[in-house]
Amino acid sequence: MPPLIEACDLTKRFGGIVAVSNLNFAVQQGELVGLIGPNGSGKTTTINLLTGHLTPASGHIDLRGKRADGLAASDFAALRVGRTFQITQLFSRMTVLENMLVPGLARPHSHKAAATREARQHLEFLGLAALESLQAKNLSGGQQKLLELGRALMLDPDILFLDEPFAGVNPFLRDEIIVLVRKLHTDGRTFVIVDHDIEALQRLVHRMVVMSRGEQIADGTVAEVRDNQEVLRAYAGV
Amino acid sequence: MSRWNSACAFVLAVLALAFPFMVNAYWLSVGVLAMFYAIVTASWALLAGYAGQFSFGHMAFVSLGAYTSGLLVKWFDIPIPLGMMAGVLMCALVGSFIGFVCLRMRGPYLALFTVAFSEVLRIVIVSENEVTGGSGGLEVTPLFHGRTDTPFYYLGLALLIGSLAIMQFLVTSRWGLFFRAIRENEDAAAASGVKVVRFRILAFAITSSFAGLAGGFYGHYIGILTPDIGSVDQMGLVVAMAVIGGAESIVAAMIGALGLEFLVEALRSYGQWRLVLFGALLLLTIRFARNGLLALAWQQFNAILPLPVREGVGGRGRFGTGTTPSPQPPPARGGGVS
Repeated sequence: MPPLIEACDLTKRFGGIVAVSNLNFAVQQGELVGLIGPNGSGKTTTINLLTGHLTPASGHIDLRGKRADGLAASDFAALRVGRTFQITQLFSRMTVLENMLVPGLARPHSHKAAATREARQHLEFLGLAALESLQAKNLSGGQQKLLELGRALMLDPDILFLDEPFAGVNPFLRDEIIVLVRKLHTDGRTFVIVDHDIEALQRLVHRMVVMSRGEQIADGTVAEVRDNQEVLRAYAGV
Repeated sequence: MSRWNSACAFVLAVLALAFPFMVNAYWLSVGVLAMFYAIVTASWALLAGYAGQFSFGHMAFVSLGAYTSGLLVKWFDIPIPLGMMAGVLMCALVGSFIGFVCLRMRGPYLALFTVAFSEVLRIVIVSENEVTGGSGGLEVTPLFHGRTDTPFYYLGLALLIGSLAIMQFLVTSRWGLFFRAIRENEDAAAASGVKVVRFRILAFAITSSFAGLAGGFYGHYIGILTPDIGSVDQMGLVVAMAVIGGAESIVAAMIGALGLEFLVEALRSYGQWRLVLFGALLLLTIRFARNGLLALAWQQFNAILPLPVREGVGGRGRFGTGTTPSPQPPPARGGGVS
């Protein structure tokens, strides 16, 4: 069975800067992967490439064994690849429910009544049900992160890329997000999570991929990565 | 609230239908032009207010629709309704093209590009004077021959109501939701599965079509077309109408257009000073009522009505707490929207 998503010799340049260099990285169905690395190591660029928000300079992306590089971000979403952003990106002047309905109604053959029902179920799951009529801009930072996760869930994604879900959230909400991700993973969804909170990631993921200066420097279990000397050098300059 | 809305709509409908019997020929002519501006302004509000594409070339599409219809009727002797439909189609095609070219443009770049487009079109019309009549104008066959503007008024009213109905249907449909999503955040819209390119082009094509329809009606009412119809001055007037009424509501923008057109004529005796007044009104609206004067007035009107207080949504919410109740199982996978 081919990997759910695979990056093959993926390279991305911005002018003279190589943000991602010859990245080879595969995620199997049902995995929960952490993608870590120091600032500027190319983690977000990798997510942007694997969700169609950026086009690779060379290399290719396979989604369920089929070439997917060159597809638009909306095509990736239609192929049930969901994502959240490093800096929360919501439809600020639209209500919480409308935020959820955008992906719900963008899906082919969708109906408003069914999409609304599904959106309300997700909002209930995320603890946002009472806020469905509020404009997204009026939510707290933590609630906005949950709403962004809910919006991605409306795609019924096979794989979810979460870009720094624990950044700027209090410890209670962090624990809550961990519980939610675990439940969604148990439900059969695959996750790739980028974050600097190694402690939170260690509690959550089974495998870690480490990037430094656009290159993959380690890939293994949490214990393997923790003991990897190259990772220590990249992270702490040890 | 819906009772008040219905009452206001009923009064407006009666006034609109009785208008030709209440006023003299001059004000009836102003009423016909107000219908024209209302269609143009509402469609610009759909493009700029809903879809977030601040085009300054909307009046160029009015000009394109008017000249296409006028020229086809003049040179090929086709029926006027067919000419107007051809104008609509032409605007849809050119609008799609402009929408495609402007895909990566935002804010001031899009505004400047569309200003350049409207100037190019205006200069082409002026230069090709053997075909278009140039600055001297193009004589256009009127839709109705008679001594009264009443048929034009009712046709304008029908076109306005039809256009508003279609636009209102559009903004309450999933397309309207996608337009607003793209306006708010293109990256998030794309990540949500919205085909951003398609909907940006669609917004341009649809709104340009309405501008073309209004242009055809205008040309066959006025009887002579000059390149000035697509000028930046005219565009400024449409923007002022939409902003003062409320650019994020099609109905508010339409009412802004109707109100301002009548005000412009009522204050004609003040010459250029009335334009100063409108400029000041525009500045005050942008500064103190960004959703337009109509939304502000409606808010104040509601505030003084003895209406029952609605329980606020989200009262049981968890603002700023960052905690949630124990999560319940999410919806079953694969059982999503059918």
